[in-house]
Amino acid sequence: MIFAGCDIGSLTGKAVLIKDNRIISTQIIRVLSDPVRTAKVLMDATLEKAGLAYDSITRCCTTGYGRENIPFSNMNISEISCHGMGAHWLDNSIRTILDIGAEDSKIILIDEKGRVIDFAMNDKCAAGTGRCLDKLSKAINLRIEDIGGVSLKSRNPVNMTNVCSIYMELEVIRHLYEKTKIKDIAYGIHDAVASRIAYLAKSVKIEREITMTGGVSRNKGMIRSLGKILNVRFKQLSVEPQLAGAVGAAIFAMKEESNG
Amino acid sequence: MDIFQTIGEISGKAYNSYLQAAKENGAKIAGYFCQVPVEVIHAAGLIPYRMRAVGSSGTAKGDIYYSPLNCTFTRHCFDRAFRGGFDFLDAVIFMNGCDHTRRMYDNWRHARKTQNISPDFLYMFVTPHIVDEYSMDRYIEEIRKFSKCLSERFGTNITNDLLLNSIKLFNKQRRLITKIYEKRKSMEATVKGSDILSMMFAVTAMPVDTANDLLEKIDASISDNPVPEKADIRVLITGGCIEEIDIIRIIEGCHAVVVADNLCVGARYFDMEVDESGDPAESLAKRYLNKLSCPRILNAFDARMKHIYDTIRDYRIDAVITQKLKFCDLWGVENLMLKKESQRTGFPLLALERELYGEGIGQLKTRIQAFIEEVHNRKNCPGFFS
Repeated sequence: MIFAGCDIGSLTGKAVLIKDNRIISTQIIRVLSDPVRTAKVLMDATLEKAGLAYDSITRCCTTGYGRENIPFSNMNISEISCHGMGAHWLDNSIRTILDIGAEDSKIILIDEKGRVIDFAMNDKCAAGTGRCLDKLSKAINLRIEDIGGVSLKSRNPVNMTNVCSIYMELEVIRHLYEKTKIKDIAYGIHDAVASRIAYLAKSVKIEREITMTGGVSRNKGMIRSLGKILNVRFKQLSVEPQLAGAVGAAIFAMKEESNG
Repeated sequence: MDIFQTIGEISGKAYNSYLQAAKENGAKIAGYFCQVPVEVIHAAGLIPYRMRAVGSSGTAKGDIYYSPLNCTFTRHCFDRAFRGGFDFLDAVIFMNGCDHTRRMYDNWRHARKTQNISPDFLYMFVTPHIVDEYSMDRYIEEIRKFSKCLSERFGTNITNDLLLNSIKLFNKQRRLITKIYEKRKSMEATVKGSDILSMMFAVTAMPVDTANDLLEKIDASISDNPVPEKADIRVLITGGCIEEIDIIRIIEGCHAVVVADNLCVGARYFDMEVDESGDPAESLAKRYLNKLSCPRILNAFDARMKHIYDTIRDYRIDAVITQKLKFCDLWGVENLMLKKESQRTGFPLLALERELYGEGIGQLKTRIQAFIEEVHNRKNCPGFFS
């Protein structure tokens, strides 16, 4: 039996196919004009990679902001539950997941079966998200893909005191005018964004067995800054951590099938 | 047409056919904020109309007087006043519910003088923030002053007999709503929370006798059949101002059903009858000061918490969702205390903060769905996710 998980986020769509408890195909694409089109193009590519067709999918679960009204989906589950379940399936020692996507950041606590027991999600401010990091990268003329690597070259982060992404950008511009080294500004940006996420983390009791998922988990500079500020060491997952939500969705599809 | 479809249409508009018919027959309508004694308005010959911002097209005009740090309820409401959305009103009764709504009295009076916005009768009903013998005396005095002012302005001498008649009508309404709420205790939900909130918006926006007839019909229409949607999780919704029935629909779209509330236009509206045997002004003061309160009444958190625990027990609640508007300090503190109480005794709680008629429905839905899934994990409902 083949189970599909499809995570339609605000910036990227991720899909996973699982067969015999093993991932057989994955795909990540930029979202298109509407969630249904994104899901279709995404699943077409994921199936093609595995040499399969839609009728080979036993059950499909969708998640992410575009999780509803996907024609080939049998069920939808929130990305909070899916990231929890996905991370658990990939490493069953995990108890805390830091999921940082383009538009929001979430801290998810799970039990020994991967079930969500508590979570916190940003609601007042987007300064702890991928979008903020993207905006600040542009301010120092770096691509989002590169800013993490540049920041890792620095040992002297600039101190950014503002908590608002717009004011953070002004602070970055001031540092540019003062001819501060780009790598030090980049490190300061990561610390500033990480401190917003750490603020969110105060509302739940994070456990040491922690991992990062979501698009921002690809940024090694963020992993360093978050590890430093939260005083934790992140466990690495065996697959691209951005896929955790889609993996979790596929696992829920599998569980639902076995529940009948 | 299904009766809940009818009330859905009424609640979706500020001005409805019942008000229009009454108005055409010469009736006058008084809008009121918060918990003003509606019996006094009714005894003066006016139709009490609970103020809502429904139908608002934005806050641009309201923002001329308010800052972005004021709640969106006041900004939307005042915006509607500017755009003629309340031109059908003959009076507006304000209350010092919070500083944001209290300030609307000043703003409305200023706009009335300078820009001639309707209506011309604006009144501030001052309610104490604590409950003791002094505040009781103060409230009785306020009711007498309010009665005198309405009598003079609208030409009806508010006698004790008139007040008693109004008290009886609104007590009847409270009993009818209580009867409908009692049905929600049934383990198989037979009516949706979205329909109940819609009902409450409708009955607070029409003449009381018409509303009472409607409530009797609604009561008769609620069958013993469970709602068709899957509803494994029973939710209590609490908090401050809420007008968007869609938020209840989101909750009820996640395999949950809202079976109880502690809302301004819900339980706090009909809780506790007025004594029909004593002096009407004193009986009204006793009821309005001692009924289920919101956080504007100080030192009453324990009483409010008792209501939450009683509701959890009586309605077999699985999850509590509290919600507030941004910049509402009263509910900000209340929700913090509620969260501590939830950590102390373990009832599942989700605290939402939002803007009235705001965007961000996607985030709100993710949060609600994840919370219901979390509660499901605790309760372990089979087949929940299918």
